[in-house]
Amino acid sequence: MNSLISKLSIAIAGVASLLMFSWPLFITSNISTEATTAQTVFILLMPLTLVIVLIEFATGDISSKHLALLGVLIALNAVIRLLGAGTAGIETAFFLVILGAYVFGSGFGFILGAGSIFVSALLTGGIGPWLPFQMMGAALIGLGAGLIPHATKKWLVKLNLIVYAVIASFTYGALMTLWNWPYLAGTGTQISYVAGAPIIDNLTRFLKYEIITGGLVWDTGRAITTSLLILLTGSALIATLSRAATRAGVGRKL
Amino acid sequence: MLGLAFAISASLTVNPLTLSVLGALSMLFVLAFRDQSPWSRSVVFYIRLAGIVIAIRLLFRIIFNLESDPANPLLVLPEVNLGLGDLVTMHLFGSISAESLQAALTDGLRLAAIILAIGMANSLANPMKLLKTTPGALYEIATAISIAINLAPQLIASLNRVRRARGLRGQSKGIKALPGLVIPVLEDTIDQSMTLAASMSARGFGRKGTQSKARLTLTRFTGLAGLVLIAVGAFLLILSPTNQVLDLSITVAGLLSTVIYIKMSALGSLRTRYLVQKFRTGDYAIYLIAALLLALAFSGVLNF
Amino acid sequence: MITLKDLSFSYLKPNGEPVTETPQLHRVNLHIAKGEFVLVCGPTGSGKSTLLKALNGLAPSFTGGQLTGAIYIDGEDLTGKEPHDFAHLVGYVNQQPEGFFVTDTVIDEIVYGSEQLGMPVKDIATRIKPIVSVLKIEHLLERPLSSLSGGEQQRVAIASALVAGQKVLLLDEPTSALDLAGAVEVLKVLKNLVKDFGITILLAEHRISRVIAEVDSVLVVHGDGSVTKGEPTKQFNDDRFAPPIIQLGVKLGWNPLAISAEEAAELWTTKNHSFEPKEVSPAGEPIVSAKNLSVNYGSLTAVAPTDLDFFGNQITAIMGENGSGKTSLCWAIQGLGNRSSGSVLLNGSDTAELAKATRLDQVAMIPQRAADLLFLHSLGEELHESDVFAEVAEGTTAALFQKLAGRIDPSIHPRDLSAGQQLAAVLSIQLAKQAKVLILDEPTRGLDYSAKRALAKALQQLKSPDRAILLATHDIEFIAEVSDRVIRLESGKVVSDASPLTELAWPSPFASQIAQITRTPELISIGQVIK
Repeated sequence: MNSLISKLSIAIAGVASLLMFSWPLFITSNISTEATTAQTVFILLMPLTLVIVLIEFATGDISSKHLALLGVLIALNAVIRLLGAGTAGIETAFFLVILGAYVFGSGFGFILGAGSIFVSALLTGGIGPWLPFQMMGAALIGLGAGLIPHATKKWLVKLNLIVYAVIASFTYGALMTLWNWPYLAGTGTQISYVAGAPIIDNLTRFLKYEIITGGLVWDTGRAITTSLLILLTGSALIATLSRAATRAGVGRKL
Repeated sequence: MLGLAFAISASLTVNPLTLSVLGALSMLFVLAFRDQSPWSRSVVFYIRLAGIVIAIRLLFRIIFNLESDPANPLLVLPEVNLGLGDLVTMHLFGSISAESLQAALTDGLRLAAIILAIGMANSLANPMKLLKTTPGALYEIATAISIAINLAPQLIASLNRVRRARGLRGQSKGIKALPGLVIPVLEDTIDQSMTLAASMSARGFGRKGTQSKARLTLTRFTGLAGLVLIAVGAFLLILSPTNQVLDLSITVAGLLSTVIYIKMSALGSLRTRYLVQKFRTGDYAIYLIAALLLALAFSGVLNF
Repeated sequence: MITLKDLSFSYLKPNGEPVTETPQLHRVNLHIAKGEFVLVCGPTGSGKSTLLKALNGLAPSFTGGQLTGAIYIDGEDLTGKEPHDFAHLVGYVNQQPEGFFVTDTVIDEIVYGSEQLGMPVKDIATRIKPIVSVLKIEHLLERPLSSLSGGEQQRVAIASALVAGQKVLLLDEPTSALDLAGAVEVLKVLKNLVKDFGITILLAEHRISRVIAEVDSVLVVHGDGSVTKGEPTKQFNDDRFAPPIIQLGVKLGWNPLAISAEEAAELWTTKNHSFEPKEVSPAGEPIVSAKNLSVNYGSLTAVAPTDLDFFGNQITAIMGENGSGKTSLCWAIQGLGNRSSGSVLLNGSDTAELAKATRLDQVAMIPQRAADLLFLHSLGEELHESDVFAEVAEGTTAALFQKLAGRIDPSIHPRDLSAGQQLAAVLSIQLAKQAKVLILDEPTRGLDYSAKRALAKALQQLKSPDRAILLATHDIEFIAEVSDRVIRLESGKVVSDASPLTELAWPSPFASQIAQITRTPELISIGQVIK
């Protein structure tokens, strides 16, 4: 019963947060003040949604071993990210989230994603209204990576992870730009958001915006660095983490 | 707290001078107020880190140059183009303008100021105390975060140690050497963290309260209800923004049940807290300064 | 207080099979009374730690493996329970207090357990007072943990293991990371805990001679799965884990064994035993020479300017307390380390200026944490990688390893090897190219007596006329066993350079334990004693 509620909560939270990311595409009003209200409300709602899911995953059921392993990976991620933060698409935060989630499961991945972004934000000062959105984005990447099926062949494992990394990198980039696109692009240009316009119309505009602002370059950079890091360190890290998992008797866990 | 205010102010500031002043102020505060706790010694680490970050920022700016044709190039380096498809090219090196370098420097300075501010927060306040102020429901997450914050400097230390030791054994060149460095460090850190976890468990971490199943289910339902209300509210806000009163009240209801959920989950644990942080008068003064600084930063005064 | 019924424990491979044929613990039946003070002994890897961890659920919860049988503590059946279910009854203290601290100030650490167990704040306050006063840490409560000495830290760890009213205290080698003074501080308070609070204590400890007179009984974990319990004087017939004083008694067939230095000294003189002279290899050709070598870190002098030659055919021990400059000297000789002045010549060229690959061929060094050099996923891979890198015939490293450590399954993960086996692996990897100089920095750390004997044997085998072996350590017994020459450092200065037969013999202040007991000049190691 409780695990059913738990799963349901997480599914709803996923849908809700996706809505909060992609609201510019769906909103039907064409009055920009109403859009503003919506965004303000979302900035408030996103952290709450995040907190509920975190509690859902963490409270009561999580063992000290999971917490300690989370601590290790978050710390490692923060240290690595400190060096490459925000530089033209060099994104080092995601490969560990994906690998960690792959070994330890979705719930772990969710906390790992959110925690990594939070700690590196503490260290690099990226604190602001965007933080919960980034945390949720990274958390969802971890959530998804925990669902990748475990393959026995090494190359298949790597292939799965890299395909996922590429998809995740682009989706993350798109979501991050999307939710604040109306503000950053202003109004009245070819690439601006037009409130109330049909989805397809806005989607095309958004794509142009992504290309022109170099968003896609960043996403590509993110996809490449993440894939490359998985390719290079994937087997060694998965082996080490799996060993830790076996030794500590913790496996994949939702 | 003040550190946080400094950090946020710094992240909102783009004037290099103000940034330097902020950084220097942070250091002054440290010198004025630090005590003998181990945290106060960490400040050296942060100063070094700040220096490294500025250097890396400048370097990256030169390598991953984003400009195509600057008006007044300061530095002209041969340009390397990496074709990544028809739409995207990535330039390495190329001509770099003074503005661009200044932007990178400002960027670096901002980060450095933020790091110094965090360093100040770390040296003066103790991050473990922050743990005690998080709501009970987030205790586990806060624990993971505090483990991470404690492990980060240890990670750097053991990275240095292993790198030195690796010099003693023949090693593969280049990228193949990476596992030789990362694996021992990771193994070490995992071992350390497992010891910590064992210690937490051996002292009772993970004990459940004596809450009834029904209560637990009720708590879960409240959370679910909160989420559903939030989701519906968000949906309505997007699809029929004409009736904002209704949408907003649904969202507020969602908010409320979420808060109740957080409270209820906290009740589920049987943890007690022996020492609760008390406010001292000095703390109020600090909050006041912090608030003032934030107000200044938000109003943009610091940028001029 | 504690009853074990048919308790068995095995570590399992990932495929579910047991790692070894004989389980770590096999059908152990045991009863320990309330207020009993029990010393737990056994060779490293015999299962001492496992036994203690089984008594608070850490095994199998944190170690993996499979536990069968039943555990009753204070009348509660705790079989198969998690560590947190043991927490209100059993306190646990391990070797390294700082790795075991969850918070960062003394008072926070002490109350952590009680908070987790949900003890009312009022009760915590009344429990703290008597405990901290017995442990003599009242004055430390507000201090940060990292500012305490090792002994103080360990007493805080004991307090935090007992504040919630635990009735059993498990201590897993609590003094192994401490210096002598710290260790004495810790061991002294234990008997007061038994006396004042009636706490049942199980202590695994290698400084046996310090506590043996205080304990009620001795538990020996034999390593073949069996565990026996009995009177202190009757339990030591196995010299793999026994301290020198017991080894001496066992070797000479004393019955009952002497457990205090005075008794042993008396027995030695009355029984009129004899010994053979220690063989010390004469110096061969000089292999490596340091001239005017010094190391400074800022204003701190780690090594004062010194001239030293190291000769072939000899094992030279560099002896000194922690912080006396041993490690700095090792790294400076190796060539990678800091140097403030001077040169170190090997075959006419300075080790600091050798090409990287040449230096690796000529100078082999084993750092303090040998495991830092192991990074692959199996022993076999490590040994193979070494052959490939050193460009020697396949199997060279493996053969050397087998000579040093015996035959070991190559599929085992390097981190699962014992400390002694890890050391042997690193030694054979580093020596695959027949280096001229071998430097070992604190190699005996974490080794029990039998592993030390294996290392001593290995080092004797590695002696050759064209190789100088340097050994930095503060382990006097080990130096007495293997060295041919002893250099003593004090705050970076070489204060003596002599034969072990004068430096470590009675009445030198640095005399080995055997020399102190027997008070016989020129008798410094147990190997010299004739049965």
